[in-house]
Amino acid sequence: MSFLGNLRKRFDSKRVTLQLDDIQGLILRARPEPYVGIHAMLHVDDAAGGRDLIARLADHVPSAKGWTDDMPAWLGVAISHAGLKALGLPDASLKSFPLAFQQGMAARAPQLRDEGENAPETWEPAYQDENCHIALSIFAQDAAELDRVKQKAMAELESASGVTLIGTHEFGADEQAKNPFGYRDSISQPTVAGAGVEPNDGDERAIAAGEFILGEDSEAGAPVAMPAPDVLGRNGSFVVLRKYESRVGAFNDFLREHGQDDAAQDSLGAKMFGRWRSGAPLTLSPDQDDEALGADPGRNNDFTYQDDAKGLICPHSAHMRRMNPRGSSLTILTDQNIHRIIRRSSTFGPKWDRDVSAAGDQGDRGLFFIFISARAYDTIEFLQQEWINRGNFLDLGEERDPIVGLHEQPGRFTIPAEPVRKRVNGITTFNRLRGGEYMFMPSISALKWIGRGGWQSES
Amino acid sequence: MTDKHNDPRLDDESRLQEFRRVAKEVAADAPQLAKIAIEGLIRDHNKLFDGTADKAGRAGRQSGNVSELTAIATVKPGGAERLRRIFNLTGGNFDGAQRVSTLHDMRFVFFDDDTRIIFATTYDGDWDTYINDFATKIPGLMDLLFANVEGWPGIDSPEVKDYIADHQIDAAGWFVANPQVTVVDVRRMQRMETALNDFMDKMADNGGMDDASRKALAELSDAVSVPEGVDY
Repeated sequence: MSFLGNLRKRFDSKRVTLQLDDIQGLILRARPEPYVGIHAMLHVDDAAGGRDLIARLADHVPSAKGWTDDMPAWLGVAISHAGLKALGLPDASLKSFPLAFQQGMAARAPQLRDEGENAPETWEPAYQDENCHIALSIFAQDAAELDRVKQKAMAELESASGVTLIGTHEFGADEQAKNPFGYRDSISQPTVAGAGVEPNDGDERAIAAGEFILGEDSEAGAPVAMPAPDVLGRNGSFVVLRKYESRVGAFNDFLREHGQDDAAQDSLGAKMFGRWRSGAPLTLSPDQDDEALGADPGRNNDFTYQDDAKGLICPHSAHMRRMNPRGSSLTILTDQNIHRIIRRSSTFGPKWDRDVSAAGDQGDRGLFFIFISARAYDTIEFLQQEWINRGNFLDLGEERDPIVGLHEQPGRFTIPAEPVRKRVNGITTFNRLRGGEYMFMPSISALKWIGRGGWQSES
Repeated sequence: MTDKHNDPRLDDESRLQEFRRVAKEVAADAPQLAKIAIEGLIRDHNKLFDGTADKAGRAGRQSGNVSELTAIATVKPGGAERLRRIFNLTGGNFDGAQRVSTLHDMRFVFFDDDTRIIFATTYDGDWDTYINDFATKIPGLMDLLFANVEGWPGIDSPEVKDYIADHQIDAAGWFVANPQVTVVDVRRMQRMETALNDFMDKMADNGGMDDASRKALAELSDAVSVPEGVDY
């Protein structure tokens, strides 16, 4: 059964407490399988022109109502703080946003540990100087559907004035939904309380809606910081957008250097990711890949690390275990439920090929790491500081995430084993940051409010 | 304060010269002993134990993995007395603080006739990283301690970060003996010390060692057998 079919089976409208018809569909909708799509970045030169475009785009943004039903394609709209400013929002609203969002991702580089080869000065122009004001994302089941929605959006854009298209990026993956390194991704998603779906077998309990939807109660019991006025903030969310160039060749070379044959290389890769390429988790299939398990959404996420406290099966430092410890004991007081994210990443570039070497890393492979959370700006800074670019929370000192960590000096990866752990040296930055921004994903009523300049007439 | 990119470490030549120049100015009228003392401040450091002069996120200083936070606030009427009773009850142990596992120390000092308080702490990482976790995991402890301070918005308030930053003052001078070592590291090193000594006891009694084991053990002994002062 497909991922969506699995969701649909567990959906019950009687359990819905959220205002699904006001929340952008992209927040709750999983990617289609296979998926294609496009991200477009816009710059607003003229506030009135920008608002007019937002108003017209709002009509093409589907809500989350019926989010477990099939939909051939959908559009999502997100706006940066610089974008909201360029659209002429009043100061009171602009200042009501959380500080990190106001400052923007580039200015938060110290908190994000975006240094050296990941520093904002090295980013692509679309992400420099707060250029990225509006991000449009279309996810579609096939090229024809993508075209249909893209043409609608482009028609609105062409008739808009005072808005510049500063970049577009097409992406897509086949039904195996593999990332640039050949691993199925975006498998584990949190269950949002009140959205109408009960957790899958093995998933953790549903997470409080306020962790993902502004205005709802969070895990702390009250809503997290929300911009004013209410019509702007409520039912919106925040989005972290980070574009990575994947150095697939350097990764392949690293595996070749430490594994004498394909099987040894695949095994080391699985230790680093926490899953085999099919998506089968090491925890359920410790010794070799299992295609059927990897493709089964009812089983491929049905596990915890309860019986693997030593990390002998899935290393503590594996990317997947770091990003979602599933209740593993950590050294530092942490509430794992408030660091969960809705992942909407998209892969671009040629499919993974074992024979690519570092010389073949041309910057054409990569992924847009995109996630949604009501405190996305806090979550990414927490992840970058603690769970990605450190090992302290795992009792591993300075060891970093082997897949997405920044490794200015070659790093090491600890693989627990008996009678003694093994350390593999020579990890480099396999995913290099090319840009990113903090975005706000307004509700549909907020898009309309922005579009008509609601603060001018209604204040 | 400068950031990491234009504040090279002490062994950087230009920074060292700058340090010497300032030291000379400061020490111009000082007796010879003071000059020697100031020279001592700038001698070459062992890089392994180097600190840095970074910012701990929004406020405070950071040296290596360790940061400082000093905040001054007005105490509510009767607040000092209530807090003293809490501190006496705990007898210096803060269970919540232990569980956090990033806190090296905390101190609470009342002054101005118990109307104001200095809160000073040394901790690992950036100051606001785990604040959301405190709000859901130990909200009671945080509010118990800080509810006696004027204007405390509550640990679960979206304004709590602003409140703390507004009351914080960067330390003008700050020395950390072990800037690279976190509280978690220290606990692990203590466990390793015990485990390593047990291991060495067993090896001391092991007559039938192969060459590779004997060589590895000799290297281990070499690294830890000579008493060493604190080199920082």
